[in-house]
Amino acid sequence: MFDDIKRFEIGSSQQLDWFRQLLDGFLPDGSAMDIRAVPRGSFPMINLARSDDAVRVYVFAAGLAPSDLAIDIQDNVLTLRGKREPAIGSNEDGSSRPVFRRERPSGEFVRAIALPDGLDAERAEAHHAHGVFEIVLPKREELKPRRIDVQAA
Amino acid sequence: MNNVVRTATQSPLQERGDIKRTQETLLPAVDIIEEASALKLIADMPGVTRESLKVELDNNVLSLEGEIALNMPEGLSALHAEVRGQRFARRFNLSHEVDSDAITASITNGVVTITLPKKDSHRSRRIDVQAA
Repeated sequence: MFDDIKRFEIGSSQQLDWFRQLLDGFLPDGSAMDIRAVPRGSFPMINLARSDDAVRVYVFAAGLAPSDLAIDIQDNVLTLRGKREPAIGSNEDGSSRPVFRRERPSGEFVRAIALPDGLDAERAEAHHAHGVFEIVLPKREELKPRRIDVQAA
Repeated sequence: MNNVVRTATQSPLQERGDIKRTQETLLPAVDIIEEASALKLIADMPGVTRESLKVELDNNVLSLEGEIALNMPEGLSALHAEVRGQRFARRFNLSHEVDSDAITASITNGVVTITLPKKDSHRSRRIDVQAA
């Protein structure tokens, strides 16, 4: 479902720009092929989706237990705070192990994301499974879509 | 020892020419550490479960694939997406120093840990100096 956004983007950029198209052919997916697909500072990654009755936030935070992430909502801004311990124990035996790759971000992080208007933060719920946090923010009753019946004259 | 683990430059899907699915494939971030008797490979694959994770070893190439298994309700439309894919995949060329029969893997909270034990002949050991 989240692929849809990307498909739109590719469609619009390829209309006239043959050079871009050529480059896309050489590098089929720059963001996914790059080793640094996750830029520094953007851990965890967030997806946001909307349904008729709620907005759902998916936080892709591998390696975090439910107690490692603090979720706050204030003025329609969702703030995620936490800390991920580095997997590479440098103090282990006091000796430093040879490291061949270190791509996974670690340490303390804070991320904030603006939410759409009209959400009921009081009824928000969060779940955790397999390193993904799902936050469900129900829409306020008066903002849910409703059908208006046409009355016969 | 520096080229114990080299990252395969080609993704397995590209070789199959499956372009549509290549676009949806994400490259997981990995840490690779050397320990006294083993190499440790740690990969971030959030949303991947024990059932949807596939670790395969073929001809000294270790391939790691996992489907993001989220149970999302019907009728959702995306507002913002940083994770734009359904699956993770990455391949590694293993050196001959790795004992391929003794590789073990585990997954906790979306973090995959693969232990690649070294063959006995390549382990570091301390040699006692005997008194003359």
